[in-house]
Amino acid sequence: MKINVKLVGAFRVDRFREEVREYRAGTSVREVIDGLQLSEQILGFALINGIHAEFEAILQDGDSLTILPVLDGG
Amino acid sequence: MKFATTDPATNPSAVFYKQCTIDLQTGEMSFSDVPCRNLEDVLGGFGRSFQDLAQRQIDSAYCDENPLIVNTGLLTGSTAMTGMRTYFSGYSPIKGSKVGLPAAMWSTGSGKFGAKFKWTGLDELIFENRSAQPVYVVIKESAVGPQVQLKSADHLLGLSTHDKIMSLQKDYPDAHFAAIGPAGENWQNNYMGAVALSTENQLKSKEDKCRFAGRGGMGSLMGYKNILALVAQSSDKQAKPSELVKAANRNVIEGGGSARIQPISRGGGGGTWAAYDVLQEFHAVPVNNFRPQGNAIPEKLFRENVEKEYDIKSEACYRCGITCHNNVSEKNADGSKGEFLAKFDYEPLNLLGTNVGIHDAGQAARLIQLGDNYGMDAISLGVTISYALAYNERHPEKPILNGAFFGDFEKICELIVQAGKGELPEIGKGSMRLSEKLGETSYAYHVKGLEIAAYQPESNPGYAWAIAGGHMSMGTYGLLTREGKSDLDSWVQGITEDKLHIVGFDMIGLCKFFDIAKGIGTQMVVDCLKSEFDFDVSTDDLRAAVRRAFLRGLALELRQGYSKEEFRVPAEVYEDPNPNIKLPNITSPEFLEQLEKRVWGIFEPELEGLLD
Repeated sequence: MKINVKLVGAFRVDRFREEVREYRAGTSVREVIDGLQLSEQILGFALINGIHAEFEAILQDGDSLTILPVLDGG
Repeated sequence: MKFATTDPATNPSAVFYKQCTIDLQTGEMSFSDVPCRNLEDVLGGFGRSFQDLAQRQIDSAYCDENPLIVNTGLLTGSTAMTGMRTYFSGYSPIKGSKVGLPAAMWSTGSGKFGAKFKWTGLDELIFENRSAQPVYVVIKESAVGPQVQLKSADHLLGLSTHDKIMSLQKDYPDAHFAAIGPAGENWQNNYMGAVALSTENQLKSKEDKCRFAGRGGMGSLMGYKNILALVAQSSDKQAKPSELVKAANRNVIEGGGSARIQPISRGGGGGTWAAYDVLQEFHAVPVNNFRPQGNAIPEKLFRENVEKEYDIKSEACYRCGITCHNNVSEKNADGSKGEFLAKFDYEPLNLLGTNVGIHDAGQAARLIQLGDNYGMDAISLGVTISYALAYNERHPEKPILNGAFFGDFEKICELIVQAGKGELPEIGKGSMRLSEKLGETSYAYHVKGLEIAAYQPESNPGYAWAIAGGHMSMGTYGLLTREGKSDLDSWVQGITEDKLHIVGFDMIGLCKFFDIAKGIGTQMVVDCLKSEFDFDVSTDDLRAAVRRAFLRGLALELRQGYSKEEFRVPAEVYEDPNPNIKLPNITSPEFLEQLEKRVWGIFEPELEGLLD
């Protein structure tokens, strides 16, 4: 299935900003994160089609997944 | 401090703090070892100072009865990482209720002044009345205990925060400093004066890399008292950390709340600046006085775009491994580092950048630097200016002040300089007073008279219950954006329980980045207290003390005349909702009404007797 993956902030460094990527059916958000080797240290949250989602959520073909670093302080 | 107990929660009076009270009018001073009233006193910071402020009925910030209390926290100067904080407390010139009474306030910053102050042997300094002449105050250690001297400060008058510190360093090369700028000196027309705190980096590099206790105009109160600077002169006394503290410090770096704001090169997010990227995903980066436009304009100040043209160096406070500073300098033609410009933290960068229509990093840096040099709170300054620019945008035929509009760098510079010199009270006295004078209050982005931080109020109705400004005394700023919570139950729980604990750091002497999400009621802090003082304190003891201190702040606000209607985000947010913000609406009048009812229903019964 095709998932539009968007990375935010430091996750873009040496990776990409937005990319349509191919995954097997039943892939979870967590598996995408692990596959991209995103740092747990700064892992914040994920949006599926703009809505906050659990890392265990299963993606559907055509979903847009945004992965963001944590938001902390100012 | 002196400790005659290992159980300060049940036996606080066996803990004594060294206090010096100075009558600035007469020069008389007295020292005493004061027994603590409760665990809040033991922890220090605002937990102690607010109890003292509660004992005074103050009707005007600029009166002799309003003290300036300078103190530290229990872990300031300890081996616990980030233990650098100094606290300045008093009734605020800028934050006040609609009936005209000033609110109690504290402000805090890092730098090395706090540790040096603590190492003189003094825990708290209370300034009474005001000096007839400008003075600076030297606090130094001696064989017979801490000593305090008042000295003429005529030679410091008119100097910037940085230049005052540089001047004093020549006379006190082994000391650290707290100084106001011209804004604080011109306290009559500037209520947002900050206190600059010197850093090791600043004293070595001679670059203006101060830290600031900015919020609430404590620098203006200091200016009113005619104190231009404080000098803390002591030998360094930081011991080698114990295994317990080493483990806690390691956890701060590797597993605690700070890991995410470390430099990108270490796998972190790159300091608080990283908030830009996250908030932009929701079109929730403040633009042109908190009205995001649903476009990509904030991206111009994304780190990835700024670093193409400027040199960005990750640096840290003294012996802090978090390294959250992003110091921005010009980049020379050969790619080497040029002149230092400013430190890019999320708040100043946004509020003196994108939110005033400035999208050029060099210009934003200059505005931040100007505000810092004149010694003003970047949040209050930026938000008051953005209000004035918004007014001019709405009234192009009859603009106020110098007629500045969003993005007009030169004219915004003028506003900052004039405000810093005390020549522009319209800006210097903050957005509440300016908006009331102009009769257009709905888009003045303050709550309870104190300008809000750079998180859209649409994402944070918790601002209303923050007791010392915006996000740093109520940690709900990420509850919707980060955690996705848009239901009433989560917000009631966040405001009345989980997120108020952020203020614990403003008692104990640690920076919030020690563990921003969890507060001080953690095993890490318990271990540090055991190791440093042989204290047996539980996480429950700490949480209870923090809650009491927070509620005392809320009770003090009500005593100073705030009506419940003042505990609300700016009216524009719910009267004219911004359709560009891509977040669930949690600031409708209905939601706010329910939230207020339930939050007060929990808080109010607990407020009784807290100020007795």
